[in-house]
Amino acid sequence: MPSPSRNGSTKAGDWRTYERVLLPSIRNLHRFDVYVKHGGYKALRAVLTHTKKWAPGNVIEAVKASGLRGRGGAGFPTGLKWSFMPPVDPGTPRYIACNGDESEPGTFKDRQLMEYNPHLIFEGILIAAWAMQIDATYLYIRGEYADWIRHMEYELGKLYTEGYVGQRIMGTDFSSEIIIHKGAGAYICGEETSLLESVEGKRAYPRIKPPFPAQKGLWGRPTTVNNVETLACAPLIINRGAEWFAGIGPEKHPGPVLYGMSGHVERPGVYEYPTGMLITDLIEEVAGGMRGGKKLKAIVPGGASVPVLRADMIDGVTMDTESLREAGSMMGTAGMLVMDEDTDMVKFLRRVTRFYHHESCGQCTPCREGTGWIENLVTRIDEGEGTLRDLDILLELCDQMEGRTVCALADAAAWPVRNTIQRFREEFEAKCRQSIYAMA
Amino acid sequence: MSKITIDNKEYAFQGQPKLLQFCLDLGVELPHFCYHPALSVPANCRQCLVEVGMPVRDRETGEITRNDDGEPVIRWMPKMTTSCSVDMADGMVVRTHRTSEQVERAQKDNLEFLLINHPLDCPICDQAGHCPLQNQTYKYGPEGSRFEFLKVQKPKKVVLGPRVMLDGERCINCTRCTRFTDEVSKSHQLTIIERGVKNYPMTAPGEVFDEPYSMNVIDICPVGALTSIDFRFRARIWEMSSAPSITVTNAKGANCAYWVRDNLVLRITPRANPHINEYWLPDEDRAVWPRFNEHRPEGPQVRMAEELTSVDWEAAYARVSELLGSVDGSSILFLGSPHATVEDNYLLGKLAASVGAPAPEYIPHVKPGAGDGWLITDDKAPNAEGCRRLGIHPVDPALVQARLEAGEIAAVYVLEDDPVASGLFRAVDVQDIPIILHTYHTTNETIVAADVVLPAAMVVETVGTYVSADGYAQRVWPAKAIKGVNRTLRMEMGVSRPDSHGTPFDRWHNESNQVNCKPSWEMLPVIARSLGLQEEDASPKAIMQEVAQTIGAFEGATYESMGAHGVRLAEIGATV
Repeated sequence: MPSPSRNGSTKAGDWRTYERVLLPSIRNLHRFDVYVKHGGYKALRAVLTHTKKWAPGNVIEAVKASGLRGRGGAGFPTGLKWSFMPPVDPGTPRYIACNGDESEPGTFKDRQLMEYNPHLIFEGILIAAWAMQIDATYLYIRGEYADWIRHMEYELGKLYTEGYVGQRIMGTDFSSEIIIHKGAGAYICGEETSLLESVEGKRAYPRIKPPFPAQKGLWGRPTTVNNVETLACAPLIINRGAEWFAGIGPEKHPGPVLYGMSGHVERPGVYEYPTGMLITDLIEEVAGGMRGGKKLKAIVPGGASVPVLRADMIDGVTMDTESLREAGSMMGTAGMLVMDEDTDMVKFLRRVTRFYHHESCGQCTPCREGTGWIENLVTRIDEGEGTLRDLDILLELCDQMEGRTVCALADAAAWPVRNTIQRFREEFEAKCRQSIYAMA
Repeated sequence: MSKITIDNKEYAFQGQPKLLQFCLDLGVELPHFCYHPALSVPANCRQCLVEVGMPVRDRETGEITRNDDGEPVIRWMPKMTTSCSVDMADGMVVRTHRTSEQVERAQKDNLEFLLINHPLDCPICDQAGHCPLQNQTYKYGPEGSRFEFLKVQKPKKVVLGPRVMLDGERCINCTRCTRFTDEVSKSHQLTIIERGVKNYPMTAPGEVFDEPYSMNVIDICPVGALTSIDFRFRARIWEMSSAPSITVTNAKGANCAYWVRDNLVLRITPRANPHINEYWLPDEDRAVWPRFNEHRPEGPQVRMAEELTSVDWEAAYARVSELLGSVDGSSILFLGSPHATVEDNYLLGKLAASVGAPAPEYIPHVKPGAGDGWLITDDKAPNAEGCRRLGIHPVDPALVQARLEAGEIAAVYVLEDDPVASGLFRAVDVQDIPIILHTYHTTNETIVAADVVLPAAMVVETVGTYVSADGYAQRVWPAKAIKGVNRTLRMEMGVSRPDSHGTPFDRWHNESNQVNCKPSWEMLPVIARSLGLQEEDASPKAIMQEVAQTIGAFEGATYESMGAHGVRLAEIGATV
């Protein structure tokens, strides 16, 4: 049994009384003056003025102590990632690539942050820039977010005129640039090394690792790639302390997190709560329960590529790395897809496989060819022309793709197929049995 | 010296080579498509996967942990790794498909994937027979296919440029071609467009793939996606024989293979030589194949009653001896040639000396600005450096003109060149004096003035040495047969085309396309003897031996030292 949630009994308090910090309910917070009025850039000012207390190493230590994990999907400890940057070498520029290319189906939380609290992102970037002594940050935003790109560029422009970014930030000796880079509509650009290629103006093919970005990133220079939401947590850690942050949610995966609730719920949307929320709470309380009072059938906890969970698998499961691993899934981006009893899981999988077929970059053979083949097979089953043998082939194709490519996208394409078939096999078999080729 | 264990066998190595290249150098074959030794390593085809492990070391002592049997404990990497991208390390342990079922399985799976959207039109594909995809599928691929859907449709018969055609469906996206244009030729003319399974290489809109090295992408394409517009559907690979040689389009001496069927040269492809052209060949070197087949003379001719008449070789020699014997030897102008081999020029020089004429001179064929500093040189002849080293220097046209006008030239002996087309003199200027011409082609403009026309063997028909502008002495082998019997050539052909006599499709012994010509090194001693001089028949090998022994600039330049890839004369102590 998964351990019961610590929510409701921890120092962070009951989630019902949780006070939002990433998306506080302040009107017009996206505006520079409003953000500053409400204590914005206090953390940055503290760091840049108390350079002894907040020496770069100390900032990294604080982030380590806060237990912050990346919010982009993989959940890698952020402080540890920052500490991978090599020592400063005066002749070598250093970069941050801030990943705002969110394109995982079911994930739309970065957009919310960009719309309502862009300066928290900028402040977070600049604190990270100080901590790793960064020369320039490329903020990569997916091209479809045209409105938010315009909006972010406007606010960044204001930041430049106010002297909060660029040369001699806030009159201190520290200089660091932020450049907003528009994507052109490719899911693959969200893969960290592929994002680097894209920023360099190249075709976004993921790179072979090692070398990792911290050794050879943008233009071969040390680079750290962080998600937008991850960096937005940095000012909070500086302002309120690592202990406060570590006290929110479960010990191994703490902090505030943006849950993107979508699917068959009454109130879909982005909700900020501590990590480690009970999935049932999220569906029933936060998102207003199942749409039309229907029964829950399945959820995908963190974006389309993480394994799907049956309704009977989520009792007591909480939204954090450990609990979800025990339940047989992953936290991913915390963008939860909720499906009710009327959902056709074959159709669900068909749509997911179509996405990965469409978005495979085509660099590696197994992913390029496998995603298309898988979509063909699932489509055939859905259209009533599949055979039971097709199910076996599908599972074998997952084996043929997983772990054999440059990046993790082949795995991301194979997991939903494997898990959906394994966890809803009877539905797939039923479609195959009814098919015109049932005996094949 | 570090050690690596591959399939339970230990090998020593130095430095940090990539595993795949190390295996290939050892002769341990691993299937691969995207890897090319001269290009960057993208590891995108995923065909060369192997299992890699490292011995476990004790954290404190750094000692290798051993199990009860004293064997080192190996920590295997959780995933299989592409051998092309693995940097070798001391103690590394590798399992290939020979010892690992997992690897064997992965190779099979990957080939299944590569083939599902490949058109499998091998019967009409130019690449069939020397296709890495075809070969490796036979060796490592699955028995059949489980794919029961429409294959992806992509553009076919796309003319990328004047010389290269694309079949998008055959492409397996190895990106060798785009990497070639990015990293080697640096034209950046090709890129992959579209996404995922629809990917294929293409130029930017409105751009033409016309760089001077474009055809190299055809050679490195591991499938038949990029084919030569020139060569498409002209011959199957197994119908042709190929002979190692060098190109004679310019003075670089790029190594190539001449592909021949029925004694017709059908195409020219690069032959790897790390010192000269690596793996590449400029397009202009490949485009010249028709010159070996077309406008070739049919036997010797002599001028009788103002008309050139075909005669047999004895009659032609007799006429040469008659013409040369009737004039003062010292007033014969001998023209050597940067197109001819060192051996031919050397024999001409000997002949000139024997009759008391001044040393031969040659007509330079330099086009200033034509070169690119890489594989294309300003000099459009292959052996000017060889001539120079023999003491044959560029001719002074003004001096020749003056001597002709003064009547100081009583006869002209031209070795494998065209003084009229080169503008050395006009045909009318030499109407009254005998001209003896060794020529490759009937289009030679000096023929109208010639009294004896002796058809000479071209580079594809002879044996000889050329010295490149960079001072590499390289020998060539005959690629096709000529009429008549020359035991030296026959013997060399047996060596140069190890497979040639095995294919029944290359009818090299069929006389229909054999040119009635002779190598100049066969003709010159006969002519010398007909003039009453002492000159033995000798094979080019023996002639070169003599050159190496008597001329300082060629010291040590024997056929043995040249081998298959030539030798840099400066490095073997030849004086410049």
